[in-house]
Amino acid sequence: MTAIIEGIGLTKRFGVGDAAVVAIDSVDIRIDERELVMIMGDSGCGKTTLISLLGCILTPDAGELRIDGEDIDLTGQDLSLIRRQKIGFVFQLFHLLPYLTALENVMVAMDIAKTDKSEAEDRSIELLTRVGLSDRLHHRPAQMSGGEKQRVSFARALANRPKVIFADEPTANLDSRQSDNLMDLIQELRQEHQTTVVIVTHHEGLKENADRIVYMKDGKVITS
Amino acid sequence: MKSFFLKDMQYRRARVVLTSLGITVLISLILLLGGIMNGMRIQAQQYVKSTGADIWISAEGSGGAFIGFSLLIEENMAPLNAQRELKEGSLSPLIFAQARPIIRGKSTKAIVVGYMTDKYGGPKQVLDGEGRMFKASEFQDYRPEDPIPLEIIVDEKMGLEIGEQITIGTDAVKVVGKTSSLMFVLDTPLIFMDVRVAQKVLLGNYPRVNMMIAKANKNMEPEKVAALFDAIEEIEARTMNQTLDDIIAYYVDEPMKAVQFLRVMLWIVAGLLVGMITYVTMLEKTQEIGVLKAIGASNSYVMTHLLKQVALISVVGVTIGFCLAYVFAAAAPIFVAINLVESIIVAGISFIVCCGSGYLAARKVIMVDPLIAFRGELDGGMFRHSPTVAYPDA
Repeated sequence: MTAIIEGIGLTKRFGVGDAAVVAIDSVDIRIDERELVMIMGDSGCGKTTLISLLGCILTPDAGELRIDGEDIDLTGQDLSLIRRQKIGFVFQLFHLLPYLTALENVMVAMDIAKTDKSEAEDRSIELLTRVGLSDRLHHRPAQMSGGEKQRVSFARALANRPKVIFADEPTANLDSRQSDNLMDLIQELRQEHQTTVVIVTHHEGLKENADRIVYMKDGKVITS
Repeated sequence: MKSFFLKDMQYRRARVVLTSLGITVLISLILLLGGIMNGMRIQAQQYVKSTGADIWISAEGSGGAFIGFSLLIEENMAPLNAQRELKEGSLSPLIFAQARPIIRGKSTKAIVVGYMTDKYGGPKQVLDGEGRMFKASEFQDYRPEDPIPLEIIVDEKMGLEIGEQITIGTDAVKVVGKTSSLMFVLDTPLIFMDVRVAQKVLLGNYPRVNMMIAKANKNMEPEKVAALFDAIEEIEARTMNQTLDDIIAYYVDEPMKAVQFLRVMLWIVAGLLVGMITYVTMLEKTQEIGVLKAIGASNSYVMTHLLKQVALISVVGVTIGFCLAYVFAAAAPIFVAINLVESIIVAGISFIVCCGSGYLAARKVIMVDPLIAFRGELDGGMFRHSPTVAYPDA
């Protein structure tokens, strides 16, 4: 299998001086193409920080990062380009833009990537239909349930055909039925879009869906 | 989605309206205060300019024709008439004094102007269909026992009727005509009368005038004539421009020092408030900016999105403030003259302050990692960047 993401010696500290906390401590990690990897561990062990480093939304204090075979130059590269071309994010709290409808929330990701408007609209409708929200296109986040918001969030993450989707506790705010449905959907989408998926979760019941599980403790990967 | 930023503003319309309103109020207040002072300046000058005289003579030590106590004996000034530096026969006696006439039983503020109709100092005719000029006294030398026609013409804005009587001092005078408005500072109306009538009602028949005014000969520069006359003992002479400067300093700048100070303070406060409102509004969008960046938005995309909003809010706030200032000026109980150039400068500066503070706030947010931004974990320094800055997004 080809590695889609490799992190070597990734380290991240928060705070300075005596108050500094090492959130990620020299972590080496490799994610292969089309894998579904789950990162598990106790609260505060650094799971979210790790996928934020791997997804280029947080800067490591030390370490190297390779995405899709490309060494990431942390000092000179336009990382927004990597984020919009190769990475999709799904957040625990959805983080949809409250003033946009479901359709527009998906379209905005493609607007950022300068996709033609009509093409963006067609693809957004297609994605939202695929996640079962064809009747919710023009609803705003406030008018949707947690499960629906999370599905919009997945559709947005898939909008620019990313190589990897990072999902941070995607089922944390969903009930067990919604969680199961979401996991089924993730599996289907992963197969359809040939996408690598990295999920951070506490939910032991989801383990069976993973190709591989990475356990973390105190900022270190303990088993992989 | 070209209207992405508009949808955001529509969603947060309460905040947008309040921000625009804040800018509107500050802009209109600044323009109004400037307009009040400008209006006072215009009114302070318009009577002096209307006389046509360019040499103003007052008593030695008075500090100028309109400034200090000045009484001149008209006859003693007669030799000046022979000066070749002055236009022949242009030397004109003038009384200009504040009075409290009783109009319809109420004491009112006004300025009495006593002059000779065939000389400089006041209107030569009344408005069409608005009565007639007052009768001039028939004698040059003052004779207290001679009968004097107690007639006046008044500023059209005083609201008096032809034939109506008002009381100045102890004398009843009759309105015989109306003249076009020449309000003095703070809309103080002018009451015009023959110089002899002014001596009777204001000076108790005392044969004095406040000042003499004249026109310099065509081939003479008023500055040189004024300097020449100023050297004469017992009198001071000023040009019209010097007199205007004196009036503005005495009637506008001095009494309005406090207002001027307030105006400067308002400028500073307005700048800070507008800047703070915009800055805080931008910082409130930190989470949203973090999300946009996390889904791939470049710094320039986010900055453009934010600055479009700030620019639109500023333009709306400044434009409404601009219009509101003119509406208030028209409805104000005093003369307010808003200067267009000043308005444009105020509008321009406000726009720059809004956009500048919006830019600073947006820059602070977009320079941090997306995760830090949408978690709202920016450090507190206003112009300091987060130590987590590293990713060099375009």
